[in-house]
Amino acid sequence: MEIISRISKGSIMDQVYLPKNRIGFEAGSYVVLRQIQERKESSAPLFFYNVGFLEPIKIMMINEIISTISSVVENYENIIITGSFLEKGFNFNDIDVLLINDSKIDNRYLENSVDSKTGVKIHLISINSRELIMGLSTDPLYISMLSKCVSVKRFVYRAKQKINYELLDLHLLKSKIMKENFDFLTGKEKYELIRNAISIALFLERKKISKSEVDRHIEKLFGKDMETKIRENMIERKGDFLDRYQKFLKDLSLKILEGVKNGSKQK
Amino acid sequence: MVQNRNKLIKIFIGNIVNAVVHEILAKAIENEDIRKHYSKELKTSIDKAKSYRNKINPTNTSLPKKDADYIREKIMKKAKAELQSRIAKGYDNIDITLIESVLDNVLSKTENA
Repeated sequence: MEIISRISKGSIMDQVYLPKNRIGFEAGSYVVLRQIQERKESSAPLFFYNVGFLEPIKIMMINEIISTISSVVENYENIIITGSFLEKGFNFNDIDVLLINDSKIDNRYLENSVDSKTGVKIHLISINSRELIMGLSTDPLYISMLSKCVSVKRFVYRAKQKINYELLDLHLLKSKIMKENFDFLTGKEKYELIRNAISIALFLERKKISKSEVDRHIEKLFGKDMETKIRENMIERKGDFLDRYQKFLKDLSLKILEGVKNGSKQK
Repeated sequence: MVQNRNKLIKIFIGNIVNAVVHEILAKAIENEDIRKHYSKELKTSIDKAKSYRNKINPTNTSLPKKDADYIREKIMKKAKAELQSRIAKGYDNIDITLIESVLDNVLSKTENA
């Protein structure tokens, strides 16, 4: 049996009062007093970026995650929540958490800590601020990911976009597995491969990269309501979809390799 | 079932090719920070390949030599073609001679026994 009680101040001695009406803890028995870990409330307001609406229960979940991470990592620079968790509804598998921190962190331990304390599965990416700025200047997926987020501290990372064609070629590589893996990929995985490729295309054209822009391009490329159908793995005409996707990838890939070619000529 | 196994082998090969090409391209990038950062992404490709390997029989021992040789040869050819197409476009620093050692390393991470 456990009773949580508060130490009250007495004139000669301080005491802990126990209710008379209780089971166990008979008068005369010996007990151990131990201070329970004080719960760190995340009282500071959160910063919302392009998040129009977030269900109150999700805000509670974010606070729980922040509180758990804060109890393990004290001197972090920022904690950023992003991904499908911030979309309306509850259609997410895990919560993407970006921990900006300069020291080395055991990601698996932190993920398990949050899972065991809150029952919430998180996907933790820990990077330092230099890597974040580098990612924001060269990686379209970072820009896309952070175009909509919630952060503990004000998000003031300014990075000038730099087109590095070799790096874009590397980024695009992962989107190329769609055709062969089509039957085995989940809707979410398919959506991520497409989002990656479209973000690269937008980055190359120096256009705004955000989820809504990516979704607009998905509709333009594959047709109406396709964003939802892809996410739900309900693509009806596989052949037509793959033809369009492969053509888009081929054109994008040629553009990137052309950039590599011109870049190496300039060296 | 045989058709399914062949399909899984084909997908496994595709993912390993991706991992090998990814690693060699990452090595070709001059910036040390970028290289270090994107080596993390390689793990994702390998994990994906491993999940397919776990569906190909025999799952708890090494693949028969005939299959292993076939897979190896296919990966070598495909990875080489991918990298050569980039070299032809003027991509610097790509070291094709690394394919074999990178492949050994990647395969060792996906093999079950």
